[in-house]
Amino acid sequence: MTAFAPIKTAIRSPRGGVSAAVLLLVVVCALFAPLIAPYAYDIQNLPGANTEPGAAHWMGTDEFGRDLMSRIIYGARTSLSVAVTAISISVAAGLTLGAMAGYFGGWFDRAVTAVVDLTWSFPEILIALILIAIIGPGLESTMVAISIAYLAQFTRLTRAQIMALKNETYVEATTNLGAGHFHIIFRHLLPNALTPVIVAGMLATGDAIILEATLGFFGLGAQPPTPSWGAMMSSGTAQIFIAPWIIIFPGLAIAITVISINLFGDALIEALDIRNRLRSV
Amino acid sequence: MRFISKTRLLASSMLVSASMFGLAIAANAQDATFVVSAQNVGTPSYNPINATQLNDAITLIFDRMVIQDADQTFHGQLATEWESTPDGMSWTFKLRPGVTFHDGEPFNAETIVWWIPQFAETENAFMTAAIESVEVIDDLTVRFVMANPDPNLLSNMSSGFMSIPSPKAFDALGDDFGVTAAVGSGPYKLESFTVGQETVLTANEDYAWASDLSENQGAPHIKTLTFREISEDSTAFLELSTGGVDMLYSVPTDFLPRLEGEDSVQVGTMPGTGLFYIPINTTVAPFTDIKVREATAFAINQKEILDNLYGGVGSVANTFLIDSLLAANVDPALKISYDPDRSNAVLDEAGWIMGSDGVREKDGTKLQVALWTQNGTEFKRVTEVVQAQLKAVGIGADITVFDSATINDQYRKGDEHQLAVRSYSWANSDIIDWFFSGERLGYPNVSMWNDPTAQKMNVAAMTGSRTWEERVANFKTYHEYVLSQFVFAPIYQPVQIYAYDKEAISVPEAIRGTRLQSQTVVDITVN
Repeated sequence: MTAFAPIKTAIRSPRGGVSAAVLLLVVVCALFAPLIAPYAYDIQNLPGANTEPGAAHWMGTDEFGRDLMSRIIYGARTSLSVAVTAISISVAAGLTLGAMAGYFGGWFDRAVTAVVDLTWSFPEILIALILIAIIGPGLESTMVAISIAYLAQFTRLTRAQIMALKNETYVEATTNLGAGHFHIIFRHLLPNALTPVIVAGMLATGDAIILEATLGFFGLGAQPPTPSWGAMMSSGTAQIFIAPWIIIFPGLAIAITVISINLFGDALIEALDIRNRLRSV
Repeated sequence: MRFISKTRLLASSMLVSASMFGLAIAANAQDATFVVSAQNVGTPSYNPINATQLNDAITLIFDRMVIQDADQTFHGQLATEWESTPDGMSWTFKLRPGVTFHDGEPFNAETIVWWIPQFAETENAFMTAAIESVEVIDDLTVRFVMANPDPNLLSNMSSGFMSIPSPKAFDALGDDFGVTAAVGSGPYKLESFTVGQETVLTANEDYAWASDLSENQGAPHIKTLTFREISEDSTAFLELSTGGVDMLYSVPTDFLPRLEGEDSVQVGTMPGTGLFYIPINTTVAPFTDIKVREATAFAINQKEILDNLYGGVGSVANTFLIDSLLAANVDPALKISYDPDRSNAVLDEAGWIMGSDGVREKDGTKLQVALWTQNGTEFKRVTEVVQAQLKAVGIGADITVFDSATINDQYRKGDEHQLAVRSYSWANSDIIDWFFSGERLGYPNVSMWNDPTAQKMNVAAMTGSRTWEERVANFKTYHEYVLSQFVFAPIYQPVQIYAYDKEAISVPEAIRGTRLQSQTVVDITVN
């Protein structure tokens, strides 16, 4: 079985196939936004503000006369790049911390567990808000805040996996053969603990998109004129009675993307049979 | 022992319940909820002496010596009469008898003797700086001995910042005054105050000293008045149209068509007292170069903002003062009006060459600057348009939105901000002193402008004028110098638009005052 086999299996399922197609479309929009978007995202045309959806502007214009569809397409770039980068950092850090804590145990494990449990007890949005209040608003701050907010989740998951695996016979055999700790962790334990963490990372990416949108809604994420779905919804609230499309289309973009990620994540879980594996662990 | 039958008990309970329900309805019928102006959301205190920002409820908790009508005339509130000597070096005030503070303390000449020195060392010290001492003539008469003539004295005394607190409560509460409690002599008592959320006021039933600007000379008709703070205009609009609140103190112009279409909503307008502008930090590069400041000022298309963001309601701003002030009549050559050619030419002259990305460069440094603003739909919208207008002449601007309660502290750091979109509401020329005096660098002097020539003009305008005419002339000179140094860019002069649920409350047709204050609110009735 190759590494891509579970993905192929997931895509073959109806919900996996549909969600993968939608996600592919979002990723293409994000990667090729300058080629796909019909207008520049930041060029204002104030006399054309709040134009209804029509032939010239399929999703209408916002309160500055900017083409909403172009901003949503560019917004995919913001949302995905923030969410994917933040979760990647979080997964990498969580894997390292969790693996070391689970493998070595002792004071290091207790310290990591204490910090992780502390952050685990707060909702991610609260941690992110506190961090942004300290480091200031902006795109980079949002990435850092989201990655730290989700760190506890991956650290706990990895630690639990490593603790279950480290007493396996093949690990004992490798130890008896004289392998070093880092060789055992990175060559034997982590590869076997990786799959549930990756799937959890994928599902967390959906949550991270919502968190990024929430922070953007509060004006703490990407700063104008950089388009962010959350910030677009925020500015749309002021126009909700005049131009409801400003809030509806970015809201739909968030909903469709997050639902697709979750559906594909579910399909992947089934393809990998992770629930049964976790149950047996 | 007497037993009460079940039927009788039930009947009694129903009667009591019905009475309570009726009482509750009667009580609710005297309640009203207003929404403060969006720009006042987050005002941290009701301490009039120390505050640099006050919200609309201040004149309801406290009284002032005099108040100003819409036609700019002064009327007595806690003072009944006043006169000044011809040389302007002495003012005598007769005080209203029978006035008590909410804590039962009497208002008299001793109150004034205590009150005036409280301003020393505060941000508002300029308001009383001309008063050398206060003499008690009798229990209800005081004389201000002036260090220099101050033709603006009555105007200062009509300001919310010169509201008079109870000396006993003020001294007892210290820094907590205005936060945990605020004790004045106004028509309402402060029941509770949660910063950024709401202020609950209850009627002062002993109130019997309203000015002649109010029809109602007794306690206010609304018995419990809640001021809510809502930063999002659409939320405030929704609350008004669904009956959640009874009045909005400020309404954005783009909501006018919607509000005028609502049968139950009445919209009113008043002449504006405010102005939107961009302070330019003169101490931080590239704005240490006056040419870059000049280019920035002339890059702002005021007409575009007026027409497209405000639907043409209000007027463009070309100076730092609202048009109704005489000191706003400056030399037309000094007025700042959109001129992109001049902006581009000045930047070229200063060595800033247009880059391929539309942002100018000089010696490898991009002309990329920080543009700050505060939370609130109106500020964010104006700021985004300003960002695009700056970009059109090759100035890149990165927007940062701050919470309105903390942005002034950010300004006080002095070297982190460059440009900002701000507004003020003040109908007096001394606002130039407030925002450009070298003694208030950081905040309120967000421009960080400390110019010896300007300081001399400031002193002449603030303390060197013997008559009103002289004061106007001095402020005009000072104003023209400020304009010539491009320490700010003017944007827009709004009108004041308010809206209320006419089925819920009745508001006097004529608003007595330069804005909605106590003299009008005590006349508002609940329908």
